[in-house]
Amino acid sequence: HQVLRVVPKSDEELQKVQELQGLEHLQLDFWLAPRGLGFPVDIRVPFSSLQPVKAHLEASGVSYSIMIEDVQALVDEEQTQMLRSSRQLPLTTNTFNYKAYHTLDEIYNFMDLLVAENPNLVSKLEIGRSTENRPLYVLKFSTGGTNRPAVWIDTGIHSREWVTQASGVWFAKKIVQDHTNNEGVASILETMDIFLEIVTNPDGFAFTHTKNRMWRKTRSKHSGSICVGVDPNRNWDAGFGEAGASSNPCTETYHGPYANSEPEVKSIVDFVKSHGNIKAFISIHSYSQLLLYPYGYTETPAADQQELHEVSAKAVAALSSLYGTKYTYGSIITTIYKASGSTIDWTYNQGIKYSFTFELRDTGFYGFLLPAKQIVPTAEETWLGLKVIMEHARDNLY
Amino acid sequence: RAMELPTSHFPAARAAAVALGYLRYLRGGPGRGLDLRELRRARRQDVDDVGHKYYLELELEDVLDKDRTVNCTAEVLYHLGSKSRAPDVQVTVQGELRSTEEADQEFYHRIRSLEKELVAENIPDSHGNVPPALQPIHLLAGVASGYLIWQNSTENTKFHLARVKHVKQVKRSDEDLQFDYVVLLHEMVSQEVIPWEVTVLWHPQRGARVSRDQRQPGHTLG
Repeated sequence: HQVLRVVPKSDEELQKVQELQGLEHLQLDFWLAPRGLGFPVDIRVPFSSLQPVKAHLEASGVSYSIMIEDVQALVDEEQTQMLRSSRQLPLTTNTFNYKAYHTLDEIYNFMDLLVAENPNLVSKLEIGRSTENRPLYVLKFSTGGTNRPAVWIDTGIHSREWVTQASGVWFAKKIVQDHTNNEGVASILETMDIFLEIVTNPDGFAFTHTKNRMWRKTRSKHSGSICVGVDPNRNWDAGFGEAGASSNPCTETYHGPYANSEPEVKSIVDFVKSHGNIKAFISIHSYSQLLLYPYGYTETPAADQQELHEVSAKAVAALSSLYGTKYTYGSIITTIYKASGSTIDWTYNQGIKYSFTFELRDTGFYGFLLPAKQIVPTAEETWLGLKVIMEHARDNLY
Repeated sequence: RAMELPTSHFPAARAAAVALGYLRYLRGGPGRGLDLRELRRARRQDVDDVGHKYYLELELEDVLDKDRTVNCTAEVLYHLGSKSRAPDVQVTVQGELRSTEEADQEFYHRIRSLEKELVAENIPDSHGNVPPALQPIHLLAGVASGYLIWQNSTENTKFHLARVKHVKQVKRSDEDLQFDYVVLLHEMVSQEVIPWEVTVLWHPQRGARVSRDQRQPGHTLG
């Protein structure tokens, strides 16, 4: 494939280029469609159409340049899909590209499509606003009832962990598909609701797209510092401010001026407390391939340590069964490091027994920059682990 | 006298990362990246007045040929008290690593015959893409990072190469290839992403050598 550029300089030239648009058998892909005189037209031309297209242009004296000699060599398949899908919003969740990373607008658009397509199953809740006043959206999946026992899943609390938001989008679609086909989580939805917050830190996420791909924290500015952002996974009221977080605003694990200072955190706290019936809470991060349970802020084992350990073993086995991906599991403090003010320590202390954190692929070779082609395999295997936890919660309600 | 350690706990995992860094430096190249498939066993011995010594059994995989794994044993000694002294590492690889002679020659001649010095940045890109032509450059950054990880690790850190921020080839009058990198290292415990300048010399027969490195000052404030 080559990409040709034509800049039409007369009406005749413009017409010749527009003629090409009508010739469907050539399978041309207009990266930049004809707009008018002087505006570049970029056309990706499959190998078999190169000769007729060039002949058509040359016959009318229309000059063109070869912008990209060999598209295959230069551009990954995912990159092409990304470019294409980013220029036109998909019209349905069936044409949405799950194999690519998306912007905040694209993910928020996806949510609206999903709700519109499945109004009896999915609704969108706004649980608060971020520091920069972006809405914080949670998708609710419910087949009815009133305040049923529920599962909470969040992705993207750390904005640079892109495979997590991308997996969250896949999970949302998967829940709908399972329900439609009456398989998988359909049985869980008979008695429980699922809440899914896909972009838990939208300000940070927008920043990773525009300014700094490695941004982790929120984007709050607290008085007394030129540095921006609080680590939303050190801002919860469980061992807040103790060893395992930083009091320096210029660091990545800064806990913030006080617990729940971050609206991204406070909104979840308020939601969980007012709901009152959440039975499983799973917060998703990357990378390291770990399944973790409380505690992070203390060496004292959680009262339910043995059960959580057994559930973890089952979840990890299910996850590995798909592609052989190896996971390690255990408490936060023994497996990864001491961390204070972390999400699942708070949720566990609130009485949500099945509180887990996943650290998704990989183990460090790509790290935060996981290739887009690993999004779907990661989401698929993780989903198997999540189902084990959800099914255990359903079968062991408390 | 050596205590058995759970391989799922972080002390063993951190020591394994040091061993991997060292091994990448020694045996990696533009045609070979090594990654940890599994930490099989770990033991620790506290040596009086010296430091903490870890004994590890690792299964490694070839990033370019995932079906191929190789076992190795490693010893990592973190020196007591001194934060500026690199851990001592010894590794023994059991079996053969896939030969990269052909790919190395091809890469060497390709770079030597470039008219303009190679310059690139942000490898991988935000979507995790590495253009095929830049894959050897990415793997060579892994070699250089392996050196940095080995030299700068303590029992309280765990480093990975997050990204190549910038790379510039420098033409030399001798037979080595020279690449001046700025790499971003991600440190797991602090979660900081640290820019680090590192110069790598490489030759198909002689392998890689870090000739200079400097941690960059400053921190992204926002």
